[in-house]
Amino acid sequence: MKRLLLAVGLMLAMTGITRAETINILMETVPDTQFIKDLLPEFKAATGIDVEIEAISYIDMHSKLVPQLTTPSGGYDAIVVDFYWVAEFTKAGWLMPLDDLIKQDNVDTSVYVPSLMSLVGTVNGVTYMLPFYNYSMGIIYRKDLLADSKEQEAFKAKYGTDLKIPVTWAEYRQQVEFFTRDTDGDGNRDFYGTINQGQRGDCICMQWSNYLYANGGQYHDANWKATFNNEAGLKAIEDFKQDIAEHGPTGSESFCFDEANSVFAQGKAYSFVTFNILLSGFDDPASSTVVGKADIAPNPIGGLNGGWGWAIPNSSPNKDAAWTFIKWVESKDIVKKRTLAGGAPTQAWVFDDPDVVAKRPYMDKLKTLVATAQEFPTFTYTVDFVEVLGRELNLAVTGQKDAKEALDLAASELDALAKKDGLLKE
Amino acid sequence: MATVAVSKISEIDRRDRRFGWLLTAPGLASLTLVITFPLFFTVFVSGFDYTLLHRSFDTFIGIENYRSAFAENYFGEALWVTLKFVVAVVALEFLIGFTVALMLNSVGRFKDIYYLILLMPLLINPVVVALIWRMFLHPELGIVNYLLGLVGIAKVNWLGDPVIAFWTVVLTDIWHQVSFMIVLLLAGLSALPKEPYEAARMDGASTLQSFIHVTLPLMRPVIVVTLLIRLIFAVKTFDLVYVMTRGGPGTATDLISYFIYRSAFFGLDIGQASAISVLLLVIVLALTAYLYRYMRSLA
Repeated sequence: MKRLLLAVGLMLAMTGITRAETINILMETVPDTQFIKDLLPEFKAATGIDVEIEAISYIDMHSKLVPQLTTPSGGYDAIVVDFYWVAEFTKAGWLMPLDDLIKQDNVDTSVYVPSLMSLVGTVNGVTYMLPFYNYSMGIIYRKDLLADSKEQEAFKAKYGTDLKIPVTWAEYRQQVEFFTRDTDGDGNRDFYGTINQGQRGDCICMQWSNYLYANGGQYHDANWKATFNNEAGLKAIEDFKQDIAEHGPTGSESFCFDEANSVFAQGKAYSFVTFNILLSGFDDPASSTVVGKADIAPNPIGGLNGGWGWAIPNSSPNKDAAWTFIKWVESKDIVKKRTLAGGAPTQAWVFDDPDVVAKRPYMDKLKTLVATAQEFPTFTYTVDFVEVLGRELNLAVTGQKDAKEALDLAASELDALAKKDGLLKE
Repeated sequence: MATVAVSKISEIDRRDRRFGWLLTAPGLASLTLVITFPLFFTVFVSGFDYTLLHRSFDTFIGIENYRSAFAENYFGEALWVTLKFVVAVVALEFLIGFTVALMLNSVGRFKDIYYLILLMPLLINPVVVALIWRMFLHPELGIVNYLLGLVGIAKVNWLGDPVIAFWTVVLTDIWHQVSFMIVLLLAGLSALPKEPYEAARMDGASTLQSFIHVTLPLMRPVIVVTLLIRLIFAVKTFDLVYVMTRGGPGTATDLISYFIYRSAFFGLDIGQASAISVLLLVIVLALTAYLYRYMRSLA
């Protein structure tokens, strides 16, 4: 009996020793998630902690996260937070403030690009997140076509100006028109100047925001009174509709970024306004026919800013291990490795790092893109507002509703939500 | 002597009954736990101002959640779209399903192979079905428009045109679910007695006459059950619109289940989402009861 007890005791002790710590993280299926997955063996070697990354598509993330965050002990030790959710998650008290840990371990948060630290780092002076990656939007275009001397001559002959990286919205839209073509002469265009992502919901909101900013519009004034139902907003809808009807592929009203991405990857378009993180994917011969031909340019008046931050939910079962992971993943060495692999960094120094620049010569453009990017209304009800705006924009773009009516309804909804959140005062 | 026997039987009876309860108790308990509790909880929550940001039952607001649901933009629209969708898929799937079931019923050889082919879509997860079709129907790169292009048909805007998108979702649902109808109806057909048909033939009835006067009346109970189950499932359709259209273009495919989902997870308003769910439940129950009684009255 004694022997048996001893054996059982030994076995238990051994399992205690050999059982590795594991942390669970929910992430989106994007290139940066893959780059982190590839680096995980280094973390395991350094700390002995296993990391289980559950990668799912964006549309499922919010509804999967919320139930986990509302329970006292959730399923995720660390999470990544989209800027859409920052105000909601912090107001609901789901995220743990990181200031004490940052102070205790001397983590330098001044390395981050200020606009990203304010987007997915701090809320009202409290640090809840460390910025992870940025997905600010810009114009991805075909550099081979832009540099083609025949194209340049034809463009000059038609518009009287040089074909070059556009510095104004009007110039970009001239290029969009110029490159839209019917290459096989069957009467239907088959090479597109641009590709829109017009699907109802988040997809159309994100891309249309670039059209709004480019036309000089803003979502709200300093007092959170909605302002986008003005001339700029109407012009943005008009441009968007025209691009779908005259310069883009059939059915872009139902596209999200992946559909638009495939059209560009198949070499069927000159350009599209999209997330900068997609650029490195076009150099992968397995999924792209335009390897070495794609480049990125900042939106003329600054595109939509976007980013994700690392956070530890209050429902995290293992906060210490989660913090160890976040410190590691945001350490200079790992950030550099992720950027070299094609990732989208949030720390300012990486954009100028000689090794990174040598491998990715367009880093200076990404730096401008991030620095000039503009913020979508981020408040407690961002997700709710996106749904309303997405529906109204899609109704207007598909011709089911007058553009002014649609914008007015979305604007009144933004006012109502901002009032509910205490931002808009009467 | 007789009294002793009776009491013995009733004693056995009682023990049987007790044993029966004992056996069903776990089942009943789990049913209470997974069906009755959530149901009553939903009704309970629908009376409170319960949001994910403020999760407490301190503000009882009565029917306010129900009233505010009707005041929501496009709520009526979502109800209307759902009604159209349910009628379209149930009617079309029944027509196609019954036709195929009748054809299969008279088939002798390779029945198993036909079964296998027909059942395949039904075995696929709805999210996967939606993703597959979204890819097939990509207007620029999808195989459907490519094949249509080979015979000179211009690119169809499957999911971007409000009218076409609605029918695209209906057709995808038919592709996915029609085999359910076929299998159930076929089971009913193969269980029908032979005698009435022989009698009808003796009386000189044509095929059409024996279908109308023999098959249909005999099949009525199976048809009722099949339609009912399909109807209930159709009202709950969510995955297809969630993946394929997100309720768009505009509100063309905005089904009520997706409306509830948005209310709960985007609007964070669990109270209102529960209220709409309760409304939906009442509508489905009423529809079910009506259809059931109507079909019974025909019989």
